[in-house]
Amino acid sequence: MFRHRYVLVFLLLAVDIYIFGVSDAVNVTASDSATKPQQDPIYPSPSSSVVNSPVFKPAVDSAFSISLLSSFPDDLEISEYCSELLRLFGQRYVTYVDCLVPSARPVKVCENCSPGYQSLHEVFMNISSDQVGPGNVSCRNTILSSDRLMLVFLLYSNVDLIWKKSNCENCVTGDLKGPKNDTLYYLTLLNQTITCFDKYKQGNLSELCKNCKTAYKNLNDLYSGMEANNTLCIDLEDAMNMTRKLWSKKFHCSFPREETVPVVAVSAFLLFLPIVFYLSSFLHSEQKKRKLIHPQRAKSYSSLMNIQDKKS
Amino acid sequence: MANITKKVSWSSRCDEFGAVGEETPLLNGSDQARPLRQDSASGRPKEIAHNEKLLSLKFESLDYDNIENQLFLEEERRMSFLAFRCLEISRWVICGLIGFLTGLIACFIDIVVEQLAGIKYKVIKENIVRFTEAGGLSISLILWAVLNSSFVMLGAIMVAFFEPIAAGSGIPQIKCYLNGVKIPRVVRLKTLVIKVCGVICSVVGGLAVGKEGPMIHSGAVVAAGVSQGRSTSLKRDFKIFEYFRRDTEKRDFVSAGAAAGVSAAFGAPVGGVLFSLEEGASFWNQMLTWRIFFASMISTFTLNFFLSVYHNKTGDLSNPGLINFGSFESEAMGYNLYEIPLFMAMGALGGLLGALFNFLNYWLTIFRIRYVHRPCLQVMEAVLVAAVTAAVAFIMIYFSVDCQPLAPDHTEEYPLQLFCADGEYNSMATAFFNTPERSVRSLFHNPRGTYNALTLGLFTLTYFFLACWTYGLSVSAGVFIPSLLIGAAWGRLCGILLASTTSTASTWADPGKYALIGAAAQLGGIVRMTLSLTVIMMEATGNVTYGLPIMLVLMTAKIVGDYFQEGLYDIHIKLQSVPFLHWEAPATSHWLTAREVMSSPVICLNRIEKVGTIVDILSNTSTNHNGFPVVVQVSVDDEPAKLCGLILRSQLIVLLKHKVFVELARSRLTQRKLQLKDFRDAYPRFPPIQSIHVSQDERECMMDLTEFMNPTPYTVPLETSLPRVFKLFRALGLRHLVVVDDENRVNGLVTRKDLARYHLGKHGLEELHLAQT
Repeated sequence: MFRHRYVLVFLLLAVDIYIFGVSDAVNVTASDSATKPQQDPIYPSPSSSVVNSPVFKPAVDSAFSISLLSSFPDDLEISEYCSELLRLFGQRYVTYVDCLVPSARPVKVCENCSPGYQSLHEVFMNISSDQVGPGNVSCRNTILSSDRLMLVFLLYSNVDLIWKKSNCENCVTGDLKGPKNDTLYYLTLLNQTITCFDKYKQGNLSELCKNCKTAYKNLNDLYSGMEANNTLCIDLEDAMNMTRKLWSKKFHCSFPREETVPVVAVSAFLLFLPIVFYLSSFLHSEQKKRKLIHPQRAKSYSSLMNIQDKKS
Repeated sequence: MANITKKVSWSSRCDEFGAVGEETPLLNGSDQARPLRQDSASGRPKEIAHNEKLLSLKFESLDYDNIENQLFLEEERRMSFLAFRCLEISRWVICGLIGFLTGLIACFIDIVVEQLAGIKYKVIKENIVRFTEAGGLSISLILWAVLNSSFVMLGAIMVAFFEPIAAGSGIPQIKCYLNGVKIPRVVRLKTLVIKVCGVICSVVGGLAVGKEGPMIHSGAVVAAGVSQGRSTSLKRDFKIFEYFRRDTEKRDFVSAGAAAGVSAAFGAPVGGVLFSLEEGASFWNQMLTWRIFFASMISTFTLNFFLSVYHNKTGDLSNPGLINFGSFESEAMGYNLYEIPLFMAMGALGGLLGALFNFLNYWLTIFRIRYVHRPCLQVMEAVLVAAVTAAVAFIMIYFSVDCQPLAPDHTEEYPLQLFCADGEYNSMATAFFNTPERSVRSLFHNPRGTYNALTLGLFTLTYFFLACWTYGLSVSAGVFIPSLLIGAAWGRLCGILLASTTSTASTWADPGKYALIGAAAQLGGIVRMTLSLTVIMMEATGNVTYGLPIMLVLMTAKIVGDYFQEGLYDIHIKLQSVPFLHWEAPATSHWLTAREVMSSPVICLNRIEKVGTIVDILSNTSTNHNGFPVVVQVSVDDEPAKLCGLILRSQLIVLLKHKVFVELARSRLTQRKLQLKDFRDAYPRFPPIQSIHVSQDERECMMDLTEFMNPTPYTVPLETSLPRVFKLFRALGLRHLVVVDDENRVNGLVTRKDLARYHLGKHGLEELHLAQT
């Protein structure tokens, strides 16, 4: 949903920009043709003024960018404020991704990286907001949608997708600074269960099943409740999955199939009933007979016979 | 008044019972001596066990042909141009109403089934969860069986004791009705009520049935009721739509109702129209088609709208049918040229399995008709089937070791864990522990790996036999969904096996796609519908590109299936001994002429007949004729007399009731003239002759039939061949066809049963027996 809305917004933006661009171009060419004769002698001056302008000083580091930038007119380029935002975005992006990758297995994405997402999100909001920053510039158009690639937007939407999919909002507080109380309670239960597992892991497994049952059951019930409420995030889901696997697959504490005899007996009885029913109705029920009725067509047949007789 | 339909009636036929052998007489050619005619004087009627080669006396034809008597002409003269326009408009209004009410009924069934089934499955699931841990699963099994049985018992009691015609899917009956056979009680309000409640009970009761077939019947009943503007069951007459109180009009509306039913059931408006076209369109015109389409669309729309309100998404019109196949839009759902032969092979398999299904069901139905005919036995049988269905499902689930985690966007509402690891669920339970509609959808749409091959194989096997056993019970339930489910299960199995054969196959062999093809193949193999089924499937999936594979699959299924056994509906029509007229006369029957086909001699009436004679003829129970040729003068020595018209039993009864006697007309000059309205008011339940009192004096009066008889009945000469007679009969929807000689003297009468008795059997042309049922 969100992503779609973004896309829509940016599409609209793109259309806007396109229109603007066209009108600008028309203006530029018009003014160009009008002013050309006078300005002809000092033609190279705009590029030199760009290079020398104090605004663009920080960006001019490599020879390559000098040569590229030198061809743009002043007003189309990125303002200092925006480039600062962009730099900040890059920094926080790197931090966030750095945090994500080590938390991939076992999944600790929400626990570790929620603050990182929060700060990244802030920067992006600044970039994409309509508000005009210092120097009367809005960075939305310049950074997000000036080109086909729309790199910043693409990068952010990837991260945003990860965030959405992980459902971390369910586990961390509103400001994304720390875990919710529910989450903490869950983690306590989880720790209890894991400790219990560790304690009995070495000995007889049936012992483990018996002793850790309450802890596991509490955890499982809490989880089921949260699942029903849709208040789970990927961290908790993953932890539960691992615990369940330990419990069912490694320690074999699932319910055994031990009531086969009564179940089979009851079903055999039920299956036996129709046989009795059909046999008894076959033997005792009176078979339904149909009375045949013979329509009279004697006359026509006799006449047919007559015809045949005549023929033969 | 009400029991006219219980009486058998039979057109123009002298009933002298003759002994007829067990074997069907063969009519191989004229060279054979006619068998079994000699000992017709043996007196007692011969009794035989019920079989498919019988025609029942209780079925009559509809009066589709318009009776152009003087009353009709007068009425037409009186009617203004505007009145005719109003009629046309009210036809549209009626079609809209039919669609609307049918959609409402579908919506009602859907919601009630969902709610009740939800409660049932929730209770059982809680019970199972509790007993999995504590022990005592056999109690859960008993609970399940008892819940199922009690629902089914309720439904079966309603059907067996109150309205047996509401049993089954109702499609065979509607097919017969559209073919022109009046099936007693089939379009009554009571039938509708029982049908709706019955289908809810049987689906909630967990039988292997669907609620789609009954929708078609319900639509037809709605149509028959709405178009008449009154209900004889409720004794309410709204005094509207009186012009449509005729078999001709009613039958047209019933075809619209059937279409609306299909459309509500599958969300397939075009499929509904084509269903009516395929099953009952002897008399079709473009305006009628357009009206039927209108009814279908309204019905889908109504269902759609009310379901959207129910689901709290008012205005979202994306719930088109009771069964929604869901959309097949994803990349892997596309198909390639090299898959077509695979699809056709699956079609052939579907045809084979369908023929097996029909074969088993045929014998089961014969057994049921012969031995399980008492209502209490029928109820008991249904209850047992319900219990066994629960037991089988439980055993399957209990012993299944196929545990799968649920997909993130799963739709299963009642997953059962049982002995699976935590976080995983029994995949047999996703197929069995669910209403059949939902199971079909899971088979179509669940991602790869939801079911393993063993589960699907076992499921197909058990469900095949359960469905086969269930169809024909005295509960109202359809066979569409179980067929789809069986097919979807083995189709999905095919997909999984294909994917496991080669590594490349796993990219294109999507199990959901093959489930769809399998479902189409199985359904086609069982019901053998062609055009309408293709379109229904196409519309239900919402994907036109599946048109080609589905068509090919249905074609192969039909060809292969027809080689072994007829379609299920045709089998049931035959077993009910209905005089059903197919599209064509049986091949190799040109040597038969009207002379052999007709019944003779015919009871004729004079143009001015004595009341006593008429009453005697009508009261004669052994010859319950329905149409009487009116002749100039009945000769004394049974010589044929000249034909001048045809009059129906129903008309005579109305005349007797109103005492339209020549003498009375003379004495009471002020007497109101009888109008067509008087005939319409008595329709469709004309009182039996016994209820009409005729005094001894009145018996001596005379009745002038000139005004009321049909002065221009269709006639054929004696030498007309059977196919010719058949064509005339079928195309015009006739009920009586008078056979005359070259001097226009009545020699015989051909009725539906005279034509329907010829059919092409294994050994050539065979003749069916008439029987009292």
